[in-house]
Amino acid sequence: MTAIDAPAPVPARQRRGFLARLLGSEYFVLWLTVGYFLVLLPFLPTLGTPANLVNLLSNMWPLLVVAIGQTFVMAVAGIDLSQGAVMALTSTLAAALLATGADPAVLAKAPIWGVLLSERGGLLDGRGGVGLALGLGLAVLAAVAVGLMNGIAVARFRMPPFMVTLVAMMIAGAFAIWLTQSENIRNLPEQFIALGKGDIVSVYFGARTESQLPRREVYPLVTYPAIVAIIVAVLAHWLLERTVFGRQVIAVGANRRAAEISGVPVVRVLILAFALSALFAAIGGLLYAARLEAGRPTLGSGTFLLDVIGATVIGGTSLFGGKARVIWTVFGVAFFVLLSNSLNLMNLSSFHVDMVKGAVILGAALLDVARTRLTRQALP
Amino acid sequence: MQTLTLAAALAAGTVLSAGAASAANICFAFQDLETEFWVAGHQAITTALQEGGHTVIERNANEDANRQLEQVRDCIAQGVDGIIIIPQDGESAATIVNEAQNADVPIAVFNRPPSDLSKGIIVVADNATIAEQAVDFALTKAIERAGGEPVQPLILVGDLGDPNAVGRRAGFNAAVEKHGDAVATPIEVASNWDAATALSNLEAAVTANPNIDMLFTSSDFLFPTIRSVLEPRGMWKAAGEEGHVVMAGLDGDATACSLIKEGYVDATGVQDLYFEADAALEALLAAMEAGEAQPNQVIEDPGFALTTDNIGEREMDMWGCVLLAEGFLNK
Repeated sequence: MTAIDAPAPVPARQRRGFLARLLGSEYFVLWLTVGYFLVLLPFLPTLGTPANLVNLLSNMWPLLVVAIGQTFVMAVAGIDLSQGAVMALTSTLAAALLATGADPAVLAKAPIWGVLLSERGGLLDGRGGVGLALGLGLAVLAAVAVGLMNGIAVARFRMPPFMVTLVAMMIAGAFAIWLTQSENIRNLPEQFIALGKGDIVSVYFGARTESQLPRREVYPLVTYPAIVAIIVAVLAHWLLERTVFGRQVIAVGANRRAAEISGVPVVRVLILAFALSALFAAIGGLLYAARLEAGRPTLGSGTFLLDVIGATVIGGTSLFGGKARVIWTVFGVAFFVLLSNSLNLMNLSSFHVDMVKGAVILGAALLDVARTRLTRQALP
Repeated sequence: MQTLTLAAALAAGTVLSAGAASAANICFAFQDLETEFWVAGHQAITTALQEGGHTVIERNANEDANRQLEQVRDCIAQGVDGIIIIPQDGESAATIVNEAQNADVPIAVFNRPPSDLSKGIIVVADNATIAEQAVDFALTKAIERAGGEPVQPLILVGDLGDPNAVGRRAGFNAAVEKHGDAVATPIEVASNWDAATALSNLEAAVTANPNIDMLFTSSDFLFPTIRSVLEPRGMWKAAGEEGHVVMAGLDGDATACSLIKEGYVDATGVQDLYFEADAALEALLAAMEAGEAQPNQVIEDPGFALTTDNIGEREMDMWGCVLLAEGFLNK
């Protein structure tokens, strides 16, 4: 259709085109994050202080790792509700294997007592770096096994991902709680704890005088969680953008039937997507366990999954599959963490914080629908 | 949420020193307000701080240890002068205390102690002694009623990741040992400080062991749960009625006070909520005045047991009875 044939619809189409370009922009959420930060900064000056910026980054890294896993599953038009439970299982197993000691008054009735853990510590305690790597590796393997089972159920038996991962969440979560009878495992080795917060490069801003007590102003800039998260993000980006497997993931999510006809190994792709989700959840779980200095069978419960799925959707990964980029998830997590942080700094109650976060996620889901529609309409 | 005007007034009255320090920004991070004890404690602390002219920044972690850590970090970034926390558990408490002390912010832990008692201002009840007093009274009553037969006790254990729960179980066991062969091996039922868990586990335990003579709950907030299990089985009877199960608890809340008066509960260990709130604030504000960024101190609340024998004299020493008189359970 030309402008001469139908002059009236052109401006509307152009408007839609502009909207589509804006909403469909790769960097839409990044601009949103920067804009939100700049708008709030005059009203919340704490937002831009070095201490708060360090908090933002520190909160972002482990969430990013887990959200990247969710990105792969959403890319194949799935959802992984078991990530929180997988985190709990991983943190509990790793802590049980690596703890330097345990209190029998707390853990003697746990099934792992005397098998993986005793008063003298975990099975792999005191074996140096090899023991640490082995302990973490075994815990991650257990998590990947959960992911593989999720993937097999979804791909081979064509079960709905929602139901499969919901059941996996219940089983893995209950198993983690059963392992320790709901007790946390503390006394983690120093190297493990360093994984959660050990700083490699710190910045000294001098003495601070605003508060009643003079305070050190040393801020960790480059931390182990940062390095782990960046490595994970780069590898995931490469996998999704630069490999055949990545293109297959998007193809399966866009249209499973068409992908099958085109010769994409759909079953393998689905299984791997769920396995990757569990793998990244496990790595995130280890970072959280190290940060909290304890293996926790209740890790990842509560509203944590809301944060993960919310950040992924806000980033732009489509709930309908076939549209996902790791960089979008990075932006989504950054926005989500900034949102949580700013709501805290506004001294809102936790109920209000959760309500606002829920509303933003709903908005992002609506935006996903609108972006898809506008992009299609803008196509010639 | 109930309004605890009397609690607030009492707390404001007791924490005289709260106004002594110059007006400060205090972060009050709590794990949840699920039970009467935490509601009353929260109200006592916030009111006392506000009455003292301090700004209170409240953070509710909704039982999420990671969220509480992030909230405390946010508070530190906001430049607060001091922090009071009610932590999720002993492990996360230790991590958060370290976090605050590394940032040179004085911190006090209210009622639920960290796994490492060497750091921070820690206000904690002498759980073992208080529990032992309450259980000892209840067992003595049960032995009198048993007529020479061994008494079968049951304990609802709290979350053993919480040192409070560990102390209460230790006190229970000490009282049981004191009575030797007059008491059978106790039945342990896990509650994990969760009413739903307690309900299902207690139902199973009572079904398997219907001849329970004495029951001790590690926290008074579980009495309504206990009632819902015992009542359908005809075991919820007041003292003097046939089939009365001798019961004791710990906390000293309004429900326990009411049940002692009605004769269903025989004793409860009382934590002095107002003393604990007062002590935490006094120590924190004193440290701030002294310019002490890493104050380390353990303040113990000796507590006592309120029983059917001494309720006439000591009723108003228990915070729950004070709230009950204020009409707390009717609000």
